[in-house]
Amino acid sequence: MSAAHEPLDELVAGHVLGALEGEDASRFAAHLAAGCTECERAIVEYQEALAGAAADVREAPPARVRHALLERIGESPARRSRVGQALGWAASVALAAGIGAVVSASWVRARYEVRLEQMASEAAGLQAELAEQVRTVSDLRQRLGEQERTLTLVKAQAAEQERTLALLGDPETRLVMLGGLTPHPQAQARIIWNAHAGGLLVAADLPPLPEGKIYELWAIAGGKPLPAGLFGVDAQGKGRLAVAPLPGGASVDVFAVTLEPAGGVQSPTGAMYLASKKA
Amino acid sequence: MASPGVELVRRMAAGDREALTAFYDLYAPLAFGLLRRMLRDVDDAAEVLQEVFWELWRAAGEYDPRRGSPEAWVTVRARSRGIDRVRSVRRREEMFVAPTRETTAAAPAATGNPSSVVEDREMARGVLRELPAEQREVIELAYLQGMTQSEISARLGLPLGTVKTRMRLGMERLRARAGSRT
Repeated sequence: MSAAHEPLDELVAGHVLGALEGEDASRFAAHLAAGCTECERAIVEYQEALAGAAADVREAPPARVRHALLERIGESPARRSRVGQALGWAASVALAAGIGAVVSASWVRARYEVRLEQMASEAAGLQAELAEQVRTVSDLRQRLGEQERTLTLVKAQAAEQERTLALLGDPETRLVMLGGLTPHPQAQARIIWNAHAGGLLVAADLPPLPEGKIYELWAIAGGKPLPAGLFGVDAQGKGRLAVAPLPGGASVDVFAVTLEPAGGVQSPTGAMYLASKKA
Repeated sequence: MASPGVELVRRMAAGDREALTAFYDLYAPLAFGLLRRMLRDVDDAAEVLQEVFWELWRAAGEYDPRRGSPEAWVTVRARSRGIDRVRSVRRREEMFVAPTRETTAAAPAATGNPSSVVEDREMARGVLRELPAEQREVIELAYLQGMTQSEISARLGLPLGTVKTRMRLGMERLRARAGSRT
């Protein structure tokens, strides 16, 4: 480069590397716009030099890029210029009236076939998306149902706890212990009992229920057993039962639990598993 | 003819898809090697590569062999699209990633050792390797990471004039080497 041109040399290098900014960038753009063959030649040579440097680090791309590119190109409509070139300018003028319509009709048809294929593929995509959304809605409904069931359970537990707290706060409430009897001596239970408000039975270490059987609580008053509710046990032998007060708030002498047919009975028939001492 | 690519580009301009296939097979490794040095994520590089050749296919009619070889045509386009991606990845990561993490395309942290990152992605095989390290460093920061001269000056803690001079000396040497190899 000439000596007069020298201050621009640094700008050429910066320009080719895309590193110019601000005043340098605008000064060099103006210089190029004014037409400088020397700088244009330098740009080309620098670009060739960078291409040469890139050639030293060639790397095979993944095969999928080639497939995707060719597929994309294959789907794009054929170029208009291809038709024009095949015919040649003179021929295209001479034959335009005759075959122009045919050529353009087939070109249009090809174009629309591509578009139709594209629309079919888009429709299939939308259908899949819709099916996915239907699945999502159904899933959400199911989860909502589960949450509603959980909420009902939580409400019932909260009501039971509220009732228990009310019971515990009443000075007439007492705690009745039930001991295990011969069939399963390690069984035990407690009843928080209030003659006017009823109570809550909590049993533990009872054996699992045989098929078709259930535990039944009895409130024995004046020597007569009255059915006071049915309960099952979990895998650890634990069971709970909310117990209603006897009619008129009558006092209970003994609480007992027997094993009875599922559905319960009106007077005890099965073996007695738990009993309290007479009050 | 200097390059078989010139004839392929001419055929591409006429809509010849087979010419594009041959052109891709010939030049994709050139573009991909460059993109891999700009973008650490191979999927990013592959995606940009496809975009570059799609654009080359569409722009084939504009190619003028007097303004450069097909190699330079491919390289200029690949570098330009690569830098677009470098910047978009950097913006994305600045928004969503903790700033201390070294990101896919972000420039090295100002407190780090700049040359270690450059070495990681350098093109220092062949012709670039023959450049003095300080010239190669500024060229690679600009060319592969899209940094401007003043950004490089701030990054390396060098006066702006020094960066410009190193860039010019490096590019002149590169041009002289390239000239002597052909």
